[in-house]
Amino acid sequence: MKILPLILKNLLRKKTRSALTIASIVLPLFVICLLGTLLRALEADPSGGKGMYRLIVRHKVSITNWLPGAYDPKIRTLPGVTEAVRMQWFGGAYIDQSAKNQFARFSVTDVDRFLRVYDEVSVVEGSEADWVGDRSGLLVGRQLMKRYGWRLGQKVSFKGDIYPITLELTVRAVFAGPDESGVYFHHAAIEEALPRVKGYVGWYWLKTASVADTERIPRQIDAMFENSSAPTRTETEKEFQSMWVSMLGNVKLLVGSITTIIGVVILLIAANTMAMAARERVTEIAVLRVLGFTKEKVLGLVLGESFALSMIGGGLGLGLFVLLLPGFREGLVNSPMGAFAAGIRLFPEVLALGFGVTFAVGLLAGLVPAVRSAQRPITEGLRQVA
Amino acid sequence: MAEPLIKIESVVKQYTRDTQVLTVLDGLSLEVEKGDFVALMGPSGSGKTTLLNLIAGIDRPTRGRIVVGDAEVSAMGEGALAKWRSENVGFIFQLYNLVPVLTAFENVELPLLLTRLTKKERRKQTETALGVVGLSDRMDHYPRQLSGGQEQRVAIARAIATDPALLVADEPTGDLDAKSGEEILVLLERLHAEFGKTIVMVTHDPKAAARAHRLVHLDKGVLKEDVRAKGEKGEIGIAAAAAIAAGR
Repeated sequence: MKILPLILKNLLRKKTRSALTIASIVLPLFVICLLGTLLRALEADPSGGKGMYRLIVRHKVSITNWLPGAYDPKIRTLPGVTEAVRMQWFGGAYIDQSAKNQFARFSVTDVDRFLRVYDEVSVVEGSEADWVGDRSGLLVGRQLMKRYGWRLGQKVSFKGDIYPITLELTVRAVFAGPDESGVYFHHAAIEEALPRVKGYVGWYWLKTASVADTERIPRQIDAMFENSSAPTRTETEKEFQSMWVSMLGNVKLLVGSITTIIGVVILLIAANTMAMAARERVTEIAVLRVLGFTKEKVLGLVLGESFALSMIGGGLGLGLFVLLLPGFREGLVNSPMGAFAAGIRLFPEVLALGFGVTFAVGLLAGLVPAVRSAQRPITEGLRQVA
Repeated sequence: MAEPLIKIESVVKQYTRDTQVLTVLDGLSLEVEKGDFVALMGPSGSGKTTLLNLIAGIDRPTRGRIVVGDAEVSAMGEGALAKWRSENVGFIFQLYNLVPVLTAFENVELPLLLTRLTKKERRKQTETALGVVGLSDRMDHYPRQLSGGQEQRVAIARAIATDPALLVADEPTGDLDAKSGEEILVLLERLHAEFGKTIVMVTHDPKAAARAHRLVHLDKGVLKEDVRAKGEKGEIGIAAAAAIAAGR
């Protein structure tokens, strides 16, 4: 520890270079942590564990193929199924099709059962009864209400794209929960405007009594409808979410590759700085060894400097990330990517990744210059004076 | 005759450059008494600095034996040699070689960081060393804020900070003007006379060599001449030094 002041003073020797190197660690590390958080958020369970008790039954071929609504009594009465609700993706447009006005719009057939399945949310304005009692009622996420400045009783119009209709709906209730970026309305509103879709649903959303039921029931349901004209595929909520993520492509590989490239770039920049610093100090290090500094101490001195540089950069990068993450989440909530914001939080494993990258950069960037400095014969180092 | 501090026995030092073997010291033997002040002279390439490095334990002979005090430095391992250097040898360089980001105080304290001394003890010893070289009022100055002569005095303070028995100096006045060089030589004389340090100094300058009590002249890696002082003050004297430097 006696050489710590010397390490810190060496860092300040070329202030601009050190500052630029630190900055080159801070920003990429911030990006690495952000990408890591996005990736983790995509895999996360925003339901807070409640998703372990929920299943989704969809058409075996694709989510775009509809299922008969008549499956409802058979599914609901299965032992282990405590509740079920039929849902459909409406899509459509609010105001226009621009990205800034994108948010999820779902229709619900069994509105009175909906909040018993989706039970991690709570109604914070209006009431469930107001929404259930009005066939043109709209249940809106709190963030979305805030984003558009809607009020209870306000008329909202959605122009369909899958369905060639325009729905005039009234905001009746506001919910708060992990994902507050969507709206839910009565499927009856679509059926009234377009009778030919009556009797069909997009998927069934089930609640089970236990985790064991969650594991057992999918096989049971799929076997039940295997030889029907609309065979099913039943999966856990997590598997269902993973399907949506996989539609974006191999996100994990993409984000992982970008993170690795950024990590290597930081390493190269830091290694270059350390190599320059060690090269400029060949004589000085030889003098320290003349004074009695061992090879190990010289190794520690150069590696210590590399670690100090990466730790300062890494610490600032992680600090900046922790500081800005809530703002980033807030920004995402109010964007078309709002649904992804639900899973975003400070993940310990992402912080560990940040620390890991910082440690690896400190070690690898300083290793070669440190070993070279320690191994160089003293007389060779002293000769560079002349 | 005083007991020898340094015993050099049949030392050979060779370097290999590509396939060519260069013999820099060729079977050199020499003894330096404890408390002596020796000047090493000779033309460039004669092996002066190599000999100094071998005595100081920063290089190893190809063959032969070097004993300093009780330690056979030619047979010591790297780690042991580093520890031995920190306790027994003070090295003074031609270009001072201070660490530019450290103050005079911190530069002098550097070798003490390798000891078990407390911070308070290190402070006291550093202040004493800076006091000996007359720079107590420049402790907080950085090397760039000091003159060449002052920098060399800080370097000398660093060399004596651990109170080693042996001081080795490689052209200590080589980069200084006449006045500053003279001050450094006076300081070395004082360290020898008052503090009993054994000094081995490489120099090209007859004026510097004249202050020594013994002058060893090397040429092509062998001992050409070994002159001991006869003067009143025990110094070689300028005439003898100049004659040897000129190759007589």
